[in-house]
Amino acid sequence: MNGKNRYSYYVEDTALLADNRPEKFLEAFAAVLEHSNYALPLDTYSRLSTKCSRCAASCQLHQSTGEDRDIPCHRSELLLRIYRRYFTLAGILQARLGRGFVLTDDYLDEMAESFYRCTACRRCKSTCPMGIDHGLITHLSRWLLAEINVIPKALLVAVREQLDGVGNTSAIPVPALRDTCEFLEEELEELYHAKVKYPIDVEGAEFVFFPAVSDFLLEADTLMGNAAVMQVTGGSWTIGTGNFDGINYGLFYSDRMMERIVQNVVSEVHRLRAKKVLVGECGHATRSAWFLPTFCGPAAPPVVNCMQYTWSQLEAGKIPLRDEKIPECVTYHDPCNIARTGRITEEPREILRTICKDFVEMTPNRTQNYCCGGGGGTVSIDEIRAFRTGPLGKRKADQIRDTGARYLVAPCANCKKQLREVCQDNGLNDVQVVGLHDLLLKVIDFNKGV
Amino acid sequence: MEHWLEWARGPAFIFSFSFMILGLARHLGLTLWEIYRTWQRAGDKTLPLSQIWWSTIQWLVPVGRIRLNPLFSFTSILFHIAILIVPLFLAGHVVLWFRGTGLSWPVIPNAFADVLTIVAVITAVVLVVQRLSAKSTRVLSRPQDYVLPLIIAVPFVSGFLVMHPAYNPFSYSTVMFAHVMSANLIMVLIPLTKLTHAALLPGVQLVAELGWHWPPDAGNRLALTLGKDKERI
Repeated sequence: MNGKNRYSYYVEDTALLADNRPEKFLEAFAAVLEHSNYALPLDTYSRLSTKCSRCAASCQLHQSTGEDRDIPCHRSELLLRIYRRYFTLAGILQARLGRGFVLTDDYLDEMAESFYRCTACRRCKSTCPMGIDHGLITHLSRWLLAEINVIPKALLVAVREQLDGVGNTSAIPVPALRDTCEFLEEELEELYHAKVKYPIDVEGAEFVFFPAVSDFLLEADTLMGNAAVMQVTGGSWTIGTGNFDGINYGLFYSDRMMERIVQNVVSEVHRLRAKKVLVGECGHATRSAWFLPTFCGPAAPPVVNCMQYTWSQLEAGKIPLRDEKIPECVTYHDPCNIARTGRITEEPREILRTICKDFVEMTPNRTQNYCCGGGGGTVSIDEIRAFRTGPLGKRKADQIRDTGARYLVAPCANCKKQLREVCQDNGLNDVQVVGLHDLLLKVIDFNKGV
Repeated sequence: MEHWLEWARGPAFIFSFSFMILGLARHLGLTLWEIYRTWQRAGDKTLPLSQIWWSTIQWLVPVGRIRLNPLFSFTSILFHIAILIVPLFLAGHVVLWFRGTGLSWPVIPNAFADVLTIVAVITAVVLVVQRLSAKSTRVLSRPQDYVLPLIIAVPFVSGFLVMHPAYNPFSYSTVMFAHVMSANLIMVLIPLTKLTHAALLPGVQLVAELGWHWPPDAGNRLALTLGKDKERI
């Protein structure tokens, strides 16, 4: 079968040529159980699942499609069934008696399709009486599939570039980075008459800045806003030429890759003798960075999201603002990776309330928000755009429409790309998707001292 | 029949009750050990304890959760209240415990027990009907999901008949036998089925959080095990 149509996303040929895939999958599963910490949740979930289907009602995909395969519990059962059959005593005994299922190639294909229909947004976690984290099951299943080379090509190519290539997912060479920073400095001077510097490779700074590297190509306003805030607050920061990419697609398909990417972040902070990691406007980059202590121990550098920094400075009165606020109606999208557990929900709202005349909430929001529809790395998979902006993005499109907002603030590179496509494909042509620092930049008064 | 009843109340009950307690203790012990081992291996040992605590409380007393799915939640919560309170606090049961062990605790009035018994039976049936009526639950359901609520209803129906001889078309000892034996069966099933959640529910939020706390270097060790350490990405 052709690699381009076996799944709804492209994979490399190695995913299709392999033989004995079930056997290799089970070897990888055994190794993961031995070396990582997934045995506890798998064991607990496989015993306790009550099949109540409350998760179905909370899932935006199931709300749109109504398909059985899109019930989170149904999806998780795909993996739990394998765990029960091959890794529990009862399952092994049952198999000895000639009963129980056998893992096949077709079954693995069903998993490969199903676990990339889920964005691992974890909204269903809060509705499960048994506390089953279907997002964790998706996360683990994708890793196991990756070990038999079933990885969406878009994610794989990006990680290969980051770990074995130029050093970042957008393949931006250092000279191009320097040029971009100079260009942004010129833009800031021209548009805002502000002298703002992008410090590069400054040793001993407090923060090393890790935005989603794609921001250097796509989100000039966000990066100008970030730099402007650091400039007016006198923040001590730098961009490192050794690693300037906060993106970590390992979070979406492989703990093995995730750990290597996280370690590279820490190496760069150490190289520059800096103290902390400052993550740009990116949900998954922030969540990945929160795994620093997991992979690098308790002495790993602390992680600060740029919105946390900005709000602390704004609250302290260190960011001079113009008298006029943003007049248009503004709404805020909570990126799942920072909002689902309630870790970053209030700082962006405080900032927006300060700088906007007309801030409106989407409903539901914060920990109960709906995913943009491009979570879990699916936004990078261009060939599934119709699925992302259709069934997956429909609920979000409805939410945005209901607010009547002109600006949709999404402080996450992946959410921004997805939401622009959602707006395009759902007739929301008047909505402009922007970063939070894009708006803040418009109201910073560079002439006013604080 | 009297002999059979004696057997059901005596050795069969002691076996079933011990099976339940030991079975749940085993589940609990293994899970606690695994929780400790997981935490020990984790690179990041800090846990958001107050968040875990509150979500645990919210699900142990899930009143605030009704609004998420009012119809199903309401049935389920009533069912759980009824099946927990009646067996533990019925005067007739507490007397038996007192005779056997010398232990005693407050009881509920029999009239209240009657109401809860009827609630237990009705909600057990409604749970099955609701499970059948919604497509998403029907798709997920295994045989045990239908059978367990109905089995749980049996001791409540028979118990009600025992308490109200006027409604009982069968002999007292036959119904009592059915009552005791169905309760014995449930006690045996608790550690063997999803009913295990009776013991494990207080720990599930902690387990869910710990699932994201991995050991460092797991990826490299996995690559070595699978012979992939030299492989390019």
